[in-house]
Amino acid sequence: MQDIDKHIIAGLKDKNKRDLAFHQLVSTYQERLYWHIRKIVLNHDDTDDVLQNTFLKVWKSIDNFREESSLFTWLYRIATNESITFINSKKKKSFMQMNEVSEFLMDNLESDPYFEGDEIQLKLQKAILTLPEKQRIVFNMKYYDDLKYDDMAQILDTSVGALKASYHHAAKKIEHYLKSTD
Amino acid sequence: MFLNLLIKNESIDKNATMEEFKKIAPELSKIKKENAFGTPPHYFDDFSARLQMKIEAEKQVAEKKEFKIINILKPALGLAASFAIIFMLVYIPVKTFMPQQAVVGNLASNEYSDNEFETILEELDENSFFALLENGDEEESFSDEELIAYVSSNFSSYEIFEYTEK
Repeated sequence: MQDIDKHIIAGLKDKNKRDLAFHQLVSTYQERLYWHIRKIVLNHDDTDDVLQNTFLKVWKSIDNFREESSLFTWLYRIATNESITFINSKKKKSFMQMNEVSEFLMDNLESDPYFEGDEIQLKLQKAILTLPEKQRIVFNMKYYDDLKYDDMAQILDTSVGALKASYHHAAKKIEHYLKSTD
Repeated sequence: MFLNLLIKNESIDKNATMEEFKKIAPELSKIKKENAFGTPPHYFDDFSARLQMKIEAEKQVAEKKEFKIINILKPALGLAASFAIIFMLVYIPVKTFMPQQAVVGNLASNEYSDNEFETILEELDENSFFALLENGDEEESFSDEELIAYVSSNFSSYEIFEYTEK
């Protein structure tokens, strides 16, 4: 565990220092969590909502944090769950089918004024959106964030073997999409 | 030495993974890995302050909820407390000041000893005893006139006076 994490955890446990430690936690992890959530929900405004909800949940459940996992994996796990909950709630509200979710997310991406990628990047995002939800999350975590499989296994509560297989399949599907849409 | 070896091994592993990745997905490998997403200016500078406001709002909502629960419970608790006080005010003095023997005496007065019961039976004449047994189930109640008529026909004035004196 990093020294900064140890310092933050010690502060969070002390009720007199909790506010300050939480502020430190937000400053340390806000960007990493933002990009992790953004790649799942794609739109900036939605990401902002999910990120705030993530930190609110962290604030409320500080007492439940056991040091069995690292602070970083605990935060990533909450952020991932909040992102999935957000997509599911959108799905329920608009009575979407599974295949319509990727269409909704694609619209979300195309209408986002803060998407700065070129055509190739947009095509790659479209390819990633063809993946099933869990596979998409695994691909993003490995491809963009270069997370270790061990950490990913803790965050997603899956085995390393399953994650490797998932990433392999995801890469193959994306490759197929890129080739077939040339 | 060990750390260097570990880092070297990790970089070898990474290279092998990259090579494998290129084989599986050559088109994907050609795409430059870059962040295609952007944020509004100063987004991360303001985020912490906005979050703090949201947390404060949540805290206030939680406090209000707590306050509401207390408000709902207040009248019920007040009622329960006043019942308890009334009970204590009545029960404790009765238990403390009322003599135990008097209580026992009151209870015992409602019951007859065997001897008393026998004398009552002896004083009843046979006809009225059987009449009582026969009519007991059918007529559970009788009027004051019937009672006066029965007493005056079966008992003398002296007997009535003697019973009332007891």
